[in-house]
Amino acid sequence: MIKLSRKTIAFIAAALVVTTFIIACSKSGGNTNTLDPSANGFDKTAMLTNYADNLIIPAYTNLQTQANLLETAVNTFLTTPNTANQVTLKNVFKDTYLRYQDVSVDQFGPAETALLSNFSNTFPADSVVIEGNITRGTYSLTSNASINQQGFPALDYLLFNLHAINDFTGATAVNRKKYVQDVVTNLKTRVATVLSAWKGSYRATFIGNTRSDSGSPIAFLINQFAFEMDQLKGPRIGWPFGKQSGGTMFPNNTEGFNAGISVALATQNLTALKTMFNGNGSGTGMSDYLVALKQQKLSTDVMAQFDKAINSLKTVPDPYVTAMSNNKTQIEAAYREIQILLTLIKTDVASATGVRITYQDTDGD
Amino acid sequence: MFLSAINRLQRPVSIAPLVTFRILFGLMMLAGTIRFWANGWITQQYVTPKFYFTYMGFEWVHPLGNTGMHFIFGVIALATICITAGLFYRVAVVVFFAAFTYVELIDVTNYLNHYYFISLISFLLIWLPANRYLSVDVRIWPKLKCTHVPLWTIGIIRLQIAIVYFFAGLAKLNPDWMLHALPMKIWLPAKSHLPLIGGLMYKEWIAYLFSWFGAFYDLFIAFFLINRKTRPMAYVFVLGFHISTAIFFPGIGMFPYVMIISSFAFFSSGYHQKLLAFFIGKNQLIPTSNYRYPAILRVLLPGVIGIYFLLQIIIPLRFLAYPGHLFWYEEGYRFSWRVMLMEKSGNTFFTVKEPSTGKTYEVDNSKYLTPLQDKMMSTQPDMILRYAHYLADIYTKRGIKSPAVYAECHVALNGERSRLYIDTTVNLAMQSLSWKHYKWVLPFTKNEK
Repeated sequence: MIKLSRKTIAFIAAALVVTTFIIACSKSGGNTNTLDPSANGFDKTAMLTNYADNLIIPAYTNLQTQANLLETAVNTFLTTPNTANQVTLKNVFKDTYLRYQDVSVDQFGPAETALLSNFSNTFPADSVVIEGNITRGTYSLTSNASINQQGFPALDYLLFNLHAINDFTGATAVNRKKYVQDVVTNLKTRVATVLSAWKGSYRATFIGNTRSDSGSPIAFLINQFAFEMDQLKGPRIGWPFGKQSGGTMFPNNTEGFNAGISVALATQNLTALKTMFNGNGSGTGMSDYLVALKQQKLSTDVMAQFDKAINSLKTVPDPYVTAMSNNKTQIEAAYREIQILLTLIKTDVASATGVRITYQDTDGD
Repeated sequence: MFLSAINRLQRPVSIAPLVTFRILFGLMMLAGTIRFWANGWITQQYVTPKFYFTYMGFEWVHPLGNTGMHFIFGVIALATICITAGLFYRVAVVVFFAAFTYVELIDVTNYLNHYYFISLISFLLIWLPANRYLSVDVRIWPKLKCTHVPLWTIGIIRLQIAIVYFFAGLAKLNPDWMLHALPMKIWLPAKSHLPLIGGLMYKEWIAYLFSWFGAFYDLFIAFFLINRKTRPMAYVFVLGFHISTAIFFPGIGMFPYVMIISSFAFFSSGYHQKLLAFFIGKNQLIPTSNYRYPAILRVLLPGVIGIYFLLQIIIPLRFLAYPGHLFWYEEGYRFSWRVMLMEKSGNTFFTVKEPSTGKTYEVDNSKYLTPLQDKMMSTQPDMILRYAHYLADIYTKRGIKSPAVYAECHVALNGERSRLYIDTTVNLAMQSLSWKHYKWVLPFTKNEK
């Protein structure tokens, strides 16, 4: 038999007292503010408040404002479908799509409920089904099956494909105009729904939950960073370039293909991600949380890698289709940098913050 | 000495602890099954995946489709009800063991120590006369009724629990856990949302306290539970420890409750007898009859049980046969009661190359794996290899001639920065799955083999 020394027993007894104390405290559900959080580490509430008030809500507000401008420009073009109006429209469309990239990482809470990302930006759009919808004049833009028949990718196809101007004066013009307007209205409605939820009760829910387990804002943010990086590496840059298909390219599958703005969108996506990661340099971002967790070097490395990846993306010119044959080296380099950043976020950052990268809930041990 | 020990083990004691254990175990398994079903995990884990990571030697185990898997869980639920009620007990517990173990063998992804524990316990229950009192079986066949059983029938449950705790404690005696308070140092700051003590979670000493307390608890709790004098206090520890793990780490699911309920078996026959009497209103069990095993089992059982427990000691120690850092290679990691022992995450990109054309195809893991499978695969070499073999099959079917599969995998262990995990120059399609040391896993430190 193992004999225990008095010391060991005393140690265990002391440990028990502390544990009991801890349990008693955590069950009593007291006030979090009895200890000054900043003195004891990091103020997560301040971080989440910064995210909600200075980044997420303004990003949706800007998107909403820009979507109204888009609606006006779309209507002008639909009334008079000519090259000049199309050029003007393309600029407004690009600006709106760029503002969408700012909220692309925020797909949790109200955006997740409204399936904003699915309905606004599932690319490529299915032009065959869209044309069928227009010809028939009957369609639903609310069913889950319709996600690739609407949003920015559908507008990109309808407004900027090579025969777009002719189409709006051709046989299907009336139905086509209505379809475009329906898509714009639908997009605006979804953005409005999400924004009003944020301005309503969700802001408090978001700020009030400083947990890190699955379903919490912090876990959502880190998981979304990883998810967006996956999207960037795959559908936005890598897969159209033939990374998945032995070099066979799929230029039509890029985001914003018809408007020829794929790289600009990808760059903005990554830039917005960087802004989110460091909380727009406010001192209360995820990068600062890492510092509080004694991961200063990791925080610096991630920020540096963001810059590297953004800069290497910027060396690739739009339209991406042309770049795919003329700038292979630059694309390969950008792809590499994106992959390094993805690993840093998915592995090192997730590990350091104790957040599980999984879009699926289960038990663990 | 030896003989007297054997005799002591044969000594008849009240059947009460066995009966309580049967009822509690049955009820808990029923709750667990309902919870699993309600969470939609049957579909998520056993219907949705296109590919399953089987166990070596169990490649023939396959899921049964949507209806089939739900049917199996229905059977498990029914078996738990029968176990609780003591109705067709022997059949029910065999069915439970077989069905539960079958489900666990489908996919390595879902391996959890407490699922393994449940399989083991239900295997032991097959051999125990837990239905001979307070059961429907006794109502139907009154001749079955027994009030006393050999001590060892309760003893083997206690021994099994003691083994779990002790090896869990031994596993914690490593430099990361004891000297650096890892992974607690990483996990606790994520718990700063807890009221009152939240702010403390950033303090290093708290991480050390948790680590050391956890290690001592696991190593010694079984001894304190065995000892009659320390038992009540020890059980307070059991409650305190497991309830706090449930509060701090809700992600571990049923585990704390499994241990709380199982450890209850350490209480004496007399205690359990009073407990049962409280519920059924009799003062005590009138000693009517002792359970006697059939002659053939009396010959066979000591051998079977001996081998069983020998394996229970060898299996958690098999890691000693492998070189290299255990947490890194995970050779001999499973089935060893290593619970919440490390923070490990990784991500893996696979590239398939066709040697004859030089064409490369990067793999989108989400096409073949669920997020959970992808995550689990990325840090476990045997799963990486299985997946690589699967990819070789898939790409061969797609018309690629003798595809070579390469993995670029980065893994971060216990707060260290991520580093390359798999030799990127090794064609994994050509590596065979075996019990041998994996040469294609890059060493954790430079001087390792």
